[in-house]
Amino acid sequence: MPGPFALFKWEAVFQDWRVFAEGFGMTILVAALALVLALLLGILFGMMGTARSKTLRCLNRVYVEFIQNTPLVIQIFFLYNGLPYAGIMLPVFWVGMLGIGIYHGAYVAEVVRAGILSIPKGQFEAAYAQGFSYWSAMRYVILPQAKQLAYPSLTNLAVNLIKNTSVMAMVAGGELMYHADSWSSANLYYGPAYVITGLLYISLCYPLATYARHLEHRLEVST
Amino acid sequence: MKKIYTLALTFVIGFSLLLAAGCGSSSASTTPSSGSGAAPDIKNAKDRGVLKIGVKVDVPKFGFKDPNTGKVDGMEIDLARAIAKKILGDETKIDVQPVTAKTRGPLLDNGEVDFVIATFTITDERKKSYNFSDPYFEDGVALMVKKDSGISDLTGLNGKKIGVAQSATSKKALVDEIQKQNLKIDLPEFGTYPEIKAALDSRRIDCFSVDGAILAGYLDDSTVILPARYSPQLYGVAAKKGNEGLSKAANDTIAELKASGEMDKLLVKWGLK
Repeated sequence: MPGPFALFKWEAVFQDWRVFAEGFGMTILVAALALVLALLLGILFGMMGTARSKTLRCLNRVYVEFIQNTPLVIQIFFLYNGLPYAGIMLPVFWVGMLGIGIYHGAYVAEVVRAGILSIPKGQFEAAYAQGFSYWSAMRYVILPQAKQLAYPSLTNLAVNLIKNTSVMAMVAGGELMYHADSWSSANLYYGPAYVITGLLYISLCYPLATYARHLEHRLEVST
Repeated sequence: MKKIYTLALTFVIGFSLLLAAGCGSSSASTTPSSGSGAAPDIKNAKDRGVLKIGVKVDVPKFGFKDPNTGKVDGMEIDLARAIAKKILGDETKIDVQPVTAKTRGPLLDNGEVDFVIATFTITDERKKSYNFSDPYFEDGVALMVKKDSGISDLTGLNGKKIGVAQSATSKKALVDEIQKQNLKIDLPEFGTYPEIKAALDSRRIDCFSVDGAILAGYLDDSTVILPARYSPQLYGVAAKKGNEGLSKAANDTIAELKASGEMDKLLVKWGLK
């Protein structure tokens, strides 16, 4: 009686390793690009959140609250099936990258905002006294310090981002989870397929998570 | 020490049983009389008093949950009732659970359901993992396109996208046909049928392809099902390997329904014939 983990099912997984490798590559690519987008958006909106202008702060709130309070699944579904009605047909790769990047951008924005707010006001005042403008003070004095504080949380966000690329499976995104679903649902050798898929995600996330812990530890020592 | 002995003994007995099964076919094999109904899986179901059955809830005519009444009904539910009548003597003693292409295998394996009757196509690969009954329905893979696309056959879909369901054998059927006709068509897979329909409506894909009878449930004013049918798909009732009693009961039920003409009536009732 073959169980879900019968030997021949493992053999089948290793025989078709290319399917999983292809998905794995796609996951890494989407995650990397989405991470860049999330950081750019996050830093921009994070700074807006601490700006003096009320409009900018308002924009930050709208973005953060709207994105944080709706499920990623719905956002992806909207980008995939909603936008075409408005005549915008993004390729599925873009749907994944934009969707995941924008989603995590909101979280990065909060981390950045908190990081900036944690820098004592005196730093700003000292920078102004030296003739820095608001933006150059931000660039040369505040952000470098905020970065130190924000780093561990950002690394944790990156781990979450990688895991969240799996929602692309829902819209035939061609990444790891999609290929695992597709492969294992055709032959029903789901046991080894999902174990291998899980291990592949761990191989990406665990080093990052360890790195985050390392950074946190260093922060504790320095303060 | 005792444990090791028990283990060794189990192995020896197990091995000799295997040998006996392998070589004993020529000699007068002593199969237990099937009439006694002592199969442990059947007894188990009888003790429980209800059959647990995995069905689809998103496939009109086969297994569909009416959003107004919340009741699941369809041809496959009727078949489940017939099997319950056969095993438990009461056709109302079924406990239906929604399954998807992704969950039906695991639910069988962990014993959450006794049977899966969910437009489950019989394939050799799947037979290695589960027991399938004789087919109760045969259908070909069909194509649904938007009326205004003007597409009338597979050739018209060259360079386009056909959405198929995960775990459906339709993909393989289409790949074979596409290769035969030397076409280049992308086949993205989706988890559920409504998702494929949504993608067809938003024109993410140009065609929705699955077994013809399932497709008919998703037909609306803006879509049309093309007449072509590809590689016949045979649906079977699946049970876990080892639950031979249950499999046999399902098979007997299907054979009886077919012989008495009840199966045809069932198919007519649900507009499948």
